[in-house]
Amino acid sequence: MLNVTDLQSGYGEMQVLWGIDLEVKEKSITVILGPNGAGKSTTLKTIFGTLKPWNGRIEYIGQDITFLPPHKKVELGMTLVPEGRHLFPNMTVKDNLYMGAYLKRAEERFEDSLELVYSLFPRLKERESQKAGTLSGGEQQMLAIARALMTSPNLILMDEPSQGLAPKLVKEVFETILKLKDEGLTILLVEQNVFASLEISDYAYILHEGKIAFGGTVDEVKESEEVKRAYLGV
Amino acid sequence: MAFVEQLISNLLYGAILGSVYGLATMGLSLIFGVLRIVNVGHGAFIMVGAFIAYWMFILYGIPPLISLFLAIAVGMAIGLAIYMLVVKRLVDAPELASLLAMFAIGIFIEEFAKQIWGADYVGYSWEIGGVSMLFTEVPFTKLLAFASSIVIAAVVYVWFRKTKIGKAVRAVVEDREGATTCGIDVNRIYALSFSLGIGLTVLSGVLVTLFTPVGINVYMGGEYTLKAFVIAVLGGLASPWGAFYAGFIFGLIENGSYTLLGLIPGVEPFGLTRFLSSVVLMLVLLVKPTGLLGGE
Repeated sequence: MLNVTDLQSGYGEMQVLWGIDLEVKEKSITVILGPNGAGKSTTLKTIFGTLKPWNGRIEYIGQDITFLPPHKKVELGMTLVPEGRHLFPNMTVKDNLYMGAYLKRAEERFEDSLELVYSLFPRLKERESQKAGTLSGGEQQMLAIARALMTSPNLILMDEPSQGLAPKLVKEVFETILKLKDEGLTILLVEQNVFASLEISDYAYILHEGKIAFGGTVDEVKESEEVKRAYLGV
Repeated sequence: MAFVEQLISNLLYGAILGSVYGLATMGLSLIFGVLRIVNVGHGAFIMVGAFIAYWMFILYGIPPLISLFLAIAVGMAIGLAIYMLVVKRLVDAPELASLLAMFAIGIFIEEFAKQIWGADYVGYSWEIGGVSMLFTEVPFTKLLAFASSIVIAAVVYVWFRKTKIGKAVRAVVEDREGATTCGIDVNRIYALSFSLGIGLTVLSGVLVTLFTPVGINVYMGGEYTLKAFVIAVLGGLASPWGAFYAGFIFGLIENGSYTLLGLIPGVEPFGLTRFLSSVVLMLVLLVKPTGLLGGE
């Protein structure tokens, strides 16, 4: 579904990604792991287009989307749940969701998407008319995922969805991600939480200093003692 | 009590003028709120609106209220052109770059206007009678300006709160990155907001002429730039509604203090009203640094 070859990018003069190759298969969960500063978030941002790629190629459902602006990618069914949620704090929960369905394609399916979102996160329905900024951390993360679902996506990029959440909520977030896969969605995840994310993922990539150090199925990662010792710190 | 009567009538004028001040600041706050660009050339666009009102009236006898429509259309076209040609490249540039660019555009517009319209003060007089209220005779023109300001501000408010595109503008203000992930084309929202901001500013220039019968001049904008900045900061800088309310307060202070200061012998009240406005601004900022409606 998503094919990334030799992706390079960075901030200003500083190159962070030195040629990333990765593949995301349809209806799977793929996780990118690695130490802080390895370029995990940068990879997602570059794929989504908030950062311009310096070099390489991004192919999505058979199309070259390397230099498409982010809103065009959303139109093609890709979206990002950014690190730190990036909700609209002074807008109501409902309006946040309504903004998720901004594009015509998504707006046409607004009612269906809303139904799906409220069945996944009943608490958001209760808080419908509350301002997003007044939600708890866990609820905000739910809303961030919900807003992404409103764009009626096929591929969701998730940047550290468990960050800053209490262990119980972390579990809830990962269960949600599994449910999304059951709904037929494809997920590319970036995580610090190695164990929990390996638990739900089908494929894993280990990022090290802006390059892919290892890639394969989750079982392969788990079996490779060397990978675990060198990169995952377990 | 002649003094009390004078104070009340001055406060009435203050409220009327304040509504126009408020409207004249909304564009500034909108542009700052969405694009984080300070339009230091603000007053030049008010001047353009004033000349539209003047020429429409002088050449075709079109009353200013009708010119409002032309003014917002011309203003939005100018705004869009400036965005496409200049501002688009400067959105992510350091603040100083956009500041200088807007300063230059303001000067360019003033000098360009001088080439066509000359440097003289001009004015027109639209006589449609008046009404006696609160110890004073209020011309209908000023009441119409008051009503138009409120109606226009209300329309903009509803547009922001209820329409999809208005909500998208707010979404971009609240979180640009979040808006991107919803598929909102941030660049288009910038273009729209800048265009609308300039449109509102030019439009307010039409109403300003109802208060300055012979004060239309290509350099008239400076005074309004200054006032708009005080009002914008008072209202919380990034909030068009804050700006509108703050305009009222500014008008009341300006006119109210004029009466009070006139009581002090040997004082030139006009100069001191500006001083007092600044004092009030400082006091508000001391108590609430985000402005009256800031941080909402």
